[in-house]
Amino acid sequence: MAFYEQHIHPKPTTFLSKYIFSFDHKVIGKQFLWYGILFLFVGGLMALMIRWTLAFPGQPFPVIGSYLFPETGGAVPPDTYAMLFTMHGTIMIFYAITPILIGAFGNFCIPLMLGARDMAFPLLNMLSFHLAVISGLLLMGSLFTPLGAAAGGWTSYPTLSTLIGSPGVGQTLWSLAIFVLGVSSTMGAVNYITTIITLRAPGMGYFDMPLTVWGLGLTAVLNAIFLPVLGAGVLLLIFDRVFGTTFFLAGAAATTGTGDPVLFQHVFWIFGHPEVYILILPAWGIVSDLLSFFSRKPAFGAKATALAMTSITILSTLVYGHHMFTTQMSPLLTQTFMTLTMTISIPSAIFFTNWLGTLWKGSIRFHSPMLFSLGVVFVFGLGGLTGLYLGTVTTDLYLHDTYFVVGHFHYTMAASVLLGGFAATYFWMPKMFGTLMNEFWAKIHFWITMLGLNGVFFGMMLVGYGGMHRRIYNPFIYEFTQKLIPINTFTTWSAIVMGFAQIIFVVNFVHAVFFKKQKAGDNPWEVGTLEWTIPSPAPHYNFKEIPVVKCGPHELGNPNVSGKDFQYQTEELA
Amino acid sequence: MKNKIFTEPVLKNAENLGFFEMLAPPEDISANGHLIDWLFNYTTSMNIFFFVLVCIGLFGFSYLYHNKRHPKPYYTYGNKKAHIIIATVVGIAVFLCIDLMITGFSNRDYTGVFINWPDESKEDVVRVQVLGQQWAWNFRQAGKDGVFNTQDDIVTLNDLRVPANKKVVFQILSKDVIHSLYFPNARRKTDAIPGRVTRMWIEFIKPGTYDIACAEMCGTYHYRMKAKLTVYEEEDFSHYLTEAQQISSAVNDPEDGQIYWGWKWTSASSSKKIGMNK
Repeated sequence: MAFYEQHIHPKPTTFLSKYIFSFDHKVIGKQFLWYGILFLFVGGLMALMIRWTLAFPGQPFPVIGSYLFPETGGAVPPDTYAMLFTMHGTIMIFYAITPILIGAFGNFCIPLMLGARDMAFPLLNMLSFHLAVISGLLLMGSLFTPLGAAAGGWTSYPTLSTLIGSPGVGQTLWSLAIFVLGVSSTMGAVNYITTIITLRAPGMGYFDMPLTVWGLGLTAVLNAIFLPVLGAGVLLLIFDRVFGTTFFLAGAAATTGTGDPVLFQHVFWIFGHPEVYILILPAWGIVSDLLSFFSRKPAFGAKATALAMTSITILSTLVYGHHMFTTQMSPLLTQTFMTLTMTISIPSAIFFTNWLGTLWKGSIRFHSPMLFSLGVVFVFGLGGLTGLYLGTVTTDLYLHDTYFVVGHFHYTMAASVLLGGFAATYFWMPKMFGTLMNEFWAKIHFWITMLGLNGVFFGMMLVGYGGMHRRIYNPFIYEFTQKLIPINTFTTWSAIVMGFAQIIFVVNFVHAVFFKKQKAGDNPWEVGTLEWTIPSPAPHYNFKEIPVVKCGPHELGNPNVSGKDFQYQTEELA
Repeated sequence: MKNKIFTEPVLKNAENLGFFEMLAPPEDISANGHLIDWLFNYTTSMNIFFFVLVCIGLFGFSYLYHNKRHPKPYYTYGNKKAHIIIATVVGIAVFLCIDLMITGFSNRDYTGVFINWPDESKEDVVRVQVLGQQWAWNFRQAGKDGVFNTQDDIVTLNDLRVPANKKVVFQILSKDVIHSLYFPNARRKTDAIPGRVTRMWIEFIKPGTYDIACAEMCGTYHYRMKAKLTVYEEEDFSHYLTEAQQISSAVNDPEDGQIYWGWKWTSASSSKKIGMNK
């Protein structure tokens, strides 16, 4: 129940107030979307360079190789390779997924789905975007420093990330960029939580909120609690690098006092584990809603899904040690982390059941958002199950720091979140930009992406099982990895296919945003959540009158309803 | 212009291998690696079972309930008790059948074997100190005097030689950044951390030469921090020891500070066992 009603501001008129310094959550959401797509391209290009090097070592990278790396005739040199995988990880996590799923869809969807006119703190919202821009500039700027950008992995473990291992300013700029982004995301998180608590339309209890908002709200809670921890860790690293402190220095480098490099790992992973749940929760929420919408029936066990997501949120705070099994923490601690990690299976299994239960006896429409949501169920199933091997101490002793881990987290983070993000883009395009994306090309995009994606990440799990360790420039130095070359080549080809398939999406997206003549209706998907009660694209004030909510978000297929097969949340339950 | 440095060792065995041989993990030459392989395969079979169920649901329902085939959806209001029960039963089934089982096996192997340090006062173990550095592995075995960091120590670069069928206890340290001592053929790795000694014990059972790699990002040449493991038969190992001893006694200069990176060996069995039910 809204604590207050926000007034309708006059429509902004100048270019600056409309597109650059806008307070409107919808505009800020779109700004984050473009920002995220740009970085997705940069991160993806880096991934292709990495894959190229792994499959064709020594060969010049096509087209741009000779411009970027003239000293080696176009082939990626070893130190650049280290920088590439570091930046790829950092960009994809913080500058692509976070802005798209949380910045764009969080900002865009939350007020609309709650029946509010804007976020609780519009100015904070705008600052959050501009801080993210500054952070992006810092990060990209670090590429142009004499010793290059950070090259110690996105996890930047000391002492490699201290002056001992990374003498250049690139690593310091990286740390600063992460800190600034952390501030930006924390601002966003505070905004989302406050909006969800104070600005729900009258009649909307927490369990009447769409599951998308649940996912985004829980993400915001984790962000608000744990980003400061990352900020602290990264700040201490900056102190070590710039002010001569020794928080993380030990061994020969610790000349003025000693600290513990493993301390950074603890601080990092206390944030890092919730971070991966931060990245996936919005996608879970979106998929839970879309499966219901396109099956034309209520979400099976919607309350259980919401509670399962909440319990995963809580459990995710207790399991970070499974990233550190090889650092020889005490045996009791190690075993405890394993057992706690296992408990996360229960809520995960619950919402898989609920997803399948939503499909069961539905009347499924296979539009592109639905295809992508089904894709998420598939890839997250694979990805989540492979996490079991890594949560178990003894199998992790073999699989830690191999490509198995890379395959696992790409399935859960890249594949699931990316597919979820595409589903969200295809779904909310009418409300954001007033047009529908081309369905035919959307479906082609889906199938080629699924094919490529599974090829890449399953290939990675196979080579990881074969023992190939990660972050290596030329794995074929070792005898034991020789036989894995064909799988690596297969993975690279799949990555190239997947990369090129995204061109279809970009063309489709740009066409729909700027060039499409045919406008979408107010509710092309025939769905009852509040954002579909207003015109497409949403007007700047969202709701002329604040809606009063009378039923849940998944009222579809009620036989008592006449004329249509769903109910808007503002209608009395039939 | 192709730079030759990057096109190092060429394809060796892949052409002759069958598909499944190509996918198999490296040959297991350790006494206890099979425990890890077994648990991996057990987890895989459980995963296949549940994933097949998910796929049957996913593809089956997509087929059966396509809107053209099933135009009228089944409407339910609110949260039916039956739904909650089904979801909870599935959740608990997964937890009991997969998670608790693999946790149990893993704990049994972890405490019973992998961190069950051999009692050095009773068993004859081979002791090795390892110093990881950017970008090489230094190995030290105490010489005849049995004391580490003395003139007769056998100190090698990227060359570890151990006997078969004897427990080898490693104490591992890093000089600069975090590395990870990785024996793919024994399914084990342990981080090498600056400022803190970590430990591992492995019993190798098959003579031959194998790879040792570094499994933690440690800088530009992390990818070629390769060492060679040679597992000898008993007698061959004693020959090696004697020979290496003689060489090291002759070559190691007591005045050279660089070689004496070793430390006093404290055996694990003499320290308190925390957290293990012994």
